[in-house]
Amino acid sequence: MLSEIPIWRIRYLPMDLDDVCGRENIKERLKEYLKRRNFPHLLLVGAEGIGKTTIARLFSREFLRGYYDTNFKLVYANVPLTSEEMKQARSNAHISTSRLGSLAGKTITTPAFIQVKIKPFVQLKVLGDVPFKILIVKNFDYLGSNQQAFRRLMEIYGTNCRMILITTKISKIIDPIMSRCQIFLVSPVNYSSFESLILDIAQKESLKIKREVIESLYKTSGGKLSRAIDLLQLCSISGDVIDLEKLYENSINSQNDIIRSLLLMCFKGDFLKARELSRKIQTNYKFNSQEMFKIMLTELAKIPLSKYSRSKLISLIAESDFRAIDGRDIDIQVSNLLAKICYFSEFI
Amino acid sequence: MATTTNSNITWVEKYRPNSIKEMALPTAKVSGHKVDLTEELHRFVVDFFKEKRKINETNKKIRAYNRTHEEKDHKEELKLASDKAAALLEGPPGVGKTTIAYALANDLNMEVVETNASDTRTKNELEAKLSETTKSRGIMDFIVESKKKMILIDEIDGIYGVTDRGAVPTILKLIEDTQFPIIMCSNEYKQNLQSLYKKVRKFEIYPLSNEEVSKIARKIIKKEKISNLSEKDLSLIVEKNHGDLRGVINDLQGISQGSLDRNAKELILNLNRDSTEEIFALIKDLFQKTNTLNEARSLTDKSDVDYNFLYKWVNENLPTFIRINKEIAQALENLSLADEIFGRIRKNQYWSLLPYFYDLFAGGVVLSRKRRRTDESFRRILFPRFTSSGFFSLSVNEKLLVDKIQKKYKISDIEVVQDFVPFLKKLCNSSRKQLKDIGEWFELDAKEKKFLK
Repeated sequence: MLSEIPIWRIRYLPMDLDDVCGRENIKERLKEYLKRRNFPHLLLVGAEGIGKTTIARLFSREFLRGYYDTNFKLVYANVPLTSEEMKQARSNAHISTSRLGSLAGKTITTPAFIQVKIKPFVQLKVLGDVPFKILIVKNFDYLGSNQQAFRRLMEIYGTNCRMILITTKISKIIDPIMSRCQIFLVSPVNYSSFESLILDIAQKESLKIKREVIESLYKTSGGKLSRAIDLLQLCSISGDVIDLEKLYENSINSQNDIIRSLLLMCFKGDFLKARELSRKIQTNYKFNSQEMFKIMLTELAKIPLSKYSRSKLISLIAESDFRAIDGRDIDIQVSNLLAKICYFSEFI
Repeated sequence: MATTTNSNITWVEKYRPNSIKEMALPTAKVSGHKVDLTEELHRFVVDFFKEKRKINETNKKIRAYNRTHEEKDHKEELKLASDKAAALLEGPPGVGKTTIAYALANDLNMEVVETNASDTRTKNELEAKLSETTKSRGIMDFIVESKKKMILIDEIDGIYGVTDRGAVPTILKLIEDTQFPIIMCSNEYKQNLQSLYKKVRKFEIYPLSNEEVSKIARKIIKKEKISNLSEKDLSLIVEKNHGDLRGVINDLQGISQGSLDRNAKELILNLNRDSTEEIFALIKDLFQKTNTLNEARSLTDKSDVDYNFLYKWVNENLPTFIRINKEIAQALENLSLADEIFGRIRKNQYWSLLPYFYDLFAGGVVLSRKRRRTDESFRRILFPRFTSSGFFSLSVNEKLLVDKIQKKYKISDIEVVQDFVPFLKKLCNSSRKQLKDIGEWFELDAKEKKFLK
């Protein structure tokens, strides 16, 4: 059954907490919670794609066991509400005057996101033989000022529902939330566990892979397991032996590399082509421009440049990003950045 | 062509073709690919009725079933996919969007129910006008086989503000319930209609070529026996209208009727018709004729083009006119500062900053050029079509794919699009077997598989 899944990263998803690669200290603490059948609100912090959600989900499943489906919910804070959900939020905004009590006829000012996605779940009673429900909120930092609304929610409904908040940027989480949570720092997989996992997969898929290749796989994937496994699968298509050449060939063309190619296109000095490419990237990958600026910044570090030009380029990106906050047409800001890089490239 | 002798009707109406065969067909694209507009629309209408009949029959059975069963056993009634129920024609004015709808209806012997920007389109008004057509047939229809209808929502970008409150949700509902195909026309992309765009099949219509326009213009000149127009004047009219056939015909009528002296004719030749037309001229003047800040100022002062999107036009067309990197960079620097200032004006109501905004986006462009090249050649002016969306949104087809993937692999929409789908694409491109396996596992149909290629 397992071998039928054509995509390795899904095939090798861990099935329970023990299966999770590395991170022994975290697993130990979570298992302690499982034993005691109780835990406080949690805040998981760590870089993108290293498995925070997988850990949280597996933990919840083991905690809730048979009642997992009804008592578990995962919410993405960065996915905007659909039009139907917005409609629902608006229709809920006025409490009917026919209702008695102090709330009658008043307008609810709760943010639509909390109104639609969080409240209905946390307010409902627990079903089945578990102490409380579990709500996972992913990318919690995207909520911004809406985080304030969570302060009371976490206290009022805390006994009914525990929350696991997941974020990549702890600096964006407001203090009151942090004080209400047990903070877990999720680190990337260390090399030895990474190696044993890859060797395990290689054995199951009958691949031949050398130690040094695993090392460079670890580096290129930046500790992101799903990306490493993706790469492995791409390499495996053209044969059982995985070498550095293949790895290099397949590792280009991820989203970061496309942004890098955009930068390189700018260095050639053709503004019109660069703008076309950037628009294509934005429509294909659904990047919002802010993310694009950030990726540009990381990619800049990988391009060989003089100290002066690097710092100059960083300041250009920073300025565009800064202007995009207040600006109304982000395309103008992106165009501006591209044009400036095109012009600047004449001096490199 | 219609040959009414009534001289009161405008030529545009008089020479409006009744059949698609008589039309000068504009080029159309669907998500970047060129398509045959007539054929596509024809198929759209025919398919609509075919599928709607099927769905109606099934629904009848479901309703009968629901009547005899308890509420909890009720089955959902089927609905037609929204992009099969409505089509949107988006393109510059005067290329024949409305005409093609009418001509098509005429060819297929259908009746057109039209609503346009001249109607107030609040929720109630729209419902009153259109809802009858969405319900199944009237009593009379069972006796006489009535004409099929087509709903034409013209000038949809004119839906605006308080006067048309609630129009978009009503149209969305209409798309769901409609018994007749809906065709919508629009000039430009509007942010507030985004929810609508996501649901419909969108055809981008491009302006007619100058040759085609002249051909039709000559026909009309011959028929109307216009004598006071030289070939040179005609080409001037055609050129200034940029593929806007309606504009050309209106100009012709203006010139021919009455005894016009030379000056009046000149006036018509220089006339600005609507805002798009005016923007074209303005952008051209700004890049090709203006040299000093004062000239730029007087240009923006004189025009009553909405500055809300004028600077977007400047952004879009900047690289067509300015070719030197240094100048592009400087002009865009000014433009981006203008954009930032404008953002602050709108956010905090600092209207006192508005002069800087004007000077920066118009004057900034002019002043960033050291020396204007004496190149007055015609450059094609582009519509600012691309809007970089500040937030994440998916088209209908993309959403289908994402939903299928999420059924098997629980990650968020954003992760699917940015991380997982690019990987799948790469995997599928490497071998056909992979594509087949992945397609089977995610239970994708052919259309969704195409996305992975």
